[in-house]
Amino acid sequence: MASFIDFRNPPGSDRRADNTIRATAEPLWVRRVVIGIVALFFFFFLFLPLLVVFQGALAKGVDVLKEAFTDHDILHSIWMTLIVALITVPANTAFGIAAAWAITRYRFTGRQVLLALIDLPLWVSPVIGGLIYVLLYGRRGYFGPWLQAHDIKIIFALPGMVLATTFVTFPFVARSLIPLMQAQGVEEEEAALTLGASGLQILRRITLPKIRWGLFYGVILCNARAMGEFGAVSVVSAKISGKTNTMPLEIERLYNDYLFPQAFAVASALSLLALLTLSLKTLAEWENRRQFEAGQRSLLEPTIETAP
Amino acid sequence: MSIEITSLTKSFGAFPAVNDVSLKIETGEMVAFLGPSGSGKTTLLRLIAGLEFADKGEIFFNGEKVTMKNANERKAGFVFQSYALFNHMTIFENIAFGLHVAPRAKRLTKEKIRDRVLSLLETIQLSGLENRFPVQLSGGQRQRIAFARALAVEPKVLLLDEPFGALDAKVRRELRTWLGEFHERTRLTSLFVTHDQEEAFEVADRVVIFDKGSVQKIGTPLEIRSGTSNTFVRDFLGLDI
Repeated sequence: MASFIDFRNPPGSDRRADNTIRATAEPLWVRRVVIGIVALFFFFFLFLPLLVVFQGALAKGVDVLKEAFTDHDILHSIWMTLIVALITVPANTAFGIAAAWAITRYRFTGRQVLLALIDLPLWVSPVIGGLIYVLLYGRRGYFGPWLQAHDIKIIFALPGMVLATTFVTFPFVARSLIPLMQAQGVEEEEAALTLGASGLQILRRITLPKIRWGLFYGVILCNARAMGEFGAVSVVSAKISGKTNTMPLEIERLYNDYLFPQAFAVASALSLLALLTLSLKTLAEWENRRQFEAGQRSLLEPTIETAP
Repeated sequence: MSIEITSLTKSFGAFPAVNDVSLKIETGEMVAFLGPSGSGKTTLLRLIAGLEFADKGEIFFNGEKVTMKNANERKAGFVFQSYALFNHMTIFENIAFGLHVAPRAKRLTKEKIRDRVLSLLETIQLSGLENRFPVQLSGGQRQRIAFARALAVEPKVLLLDEPFGALDAKVRRELRTWLGEFHERTRLTSLFVTHDQEEAFEVADRVVIFDKGSVQKIGTPLEIRSGTSNTFVRDFLGLDI
């Protein structure tokens, strides 16, 4: 299938341009200064703090570290973080897929509003994300009296923490799926439909495999944010160590109690989770870009070819 | 299968894509929908397949009203201009898709599915490619796989949306001839959309010419070419030049 016209390298988008200096580039010294500033910033604001976290954890020796990770309260905070993420992430994955599906597949009144609302948690402070649930479900909130009468505890308990985290992490899955699903279009789904597939079969056999890397990307981003969330959770959790403290809240308590090695121990555990997430995210980005480009390429199919 | 369309109308917002179209297509016919882009021919094809729903009018398959039926109930074989193959599946899985998603009671056994897929690959002269992925094939090969995939579920009608639109002239001619022969052999009722009059007049038994969402002229290639007073048709076909 040799083609005369190479659409991957159309004339005018010469690949060599990537490796050479383009005409629009600034003089060498300007480029060096800009790169230097970025590198310095990167070192002082990102790399050094991360290093300090691990150094702080190991400052008083490995024994303190071991002690920290056998402490009941600390272990419980890890447990709470995992529980919150375990409920929040699947819920937001389902919501995210549904929202992306509705926005990219249907035309309906309020679609633009929904699209804007998805981003709301990114625009408002997480503290507000926590506060709104206190106003709704707290003792003096709208549903407070009813909840109290039925002995249901949401605020200062796990349900409230899950709700606040869900609010804060809602955009990630939907946001990573919407552009992908828009780029892919619906033709494959339409083809499946004319072949007699049901909606559920189309979702499972066509749509989910098509979006899997984008979905994976959104899910790990959502997970990272769910595990690291401080502001929203701190409002709705009573911050009782050993009961309602998640890892970020526990770090704050340990730090305020001058238990620095323990605080850094938990912080380094959380950082490790973040680094793991980061590497998974990078993997997902590579795969996603590869698939996205493959999809774009199939739209730009060479129209001139030698053999059928 | 015969198809009857009565006063079908479909608008997108304020734009009337298909405007009060009535047509009757007999069993075994090969009919071309010809017209400039935006004339409503593709929308009409999608309405017949159930990929769009009409604002007004009715569609009958063999006398049975299907206007409100979903595409997965109508099961018209549909071939897309951009192939719409499932890129994450092998060629075998692509062709077998419609057989795999059939309701359990009607689903064929594994062996029967395999036999049918392999014999379809033979029909389209692409035996041996069953384990490849769509991206590994040329445009012409992909379009033939899309044919085979549509044919696997034994549709009563084949709907082709600019099936050769994305192919170069040589492959286009080859596939057109192949389609003509296939239709001679099977007499499967087929409708295809094209903006290429040569294609329409060579392959189709009857040609329907569209403009601005309405039918301008229906007839055999001979009837249409041998003279019409419709100014749009004369202009579109270049009869006055």
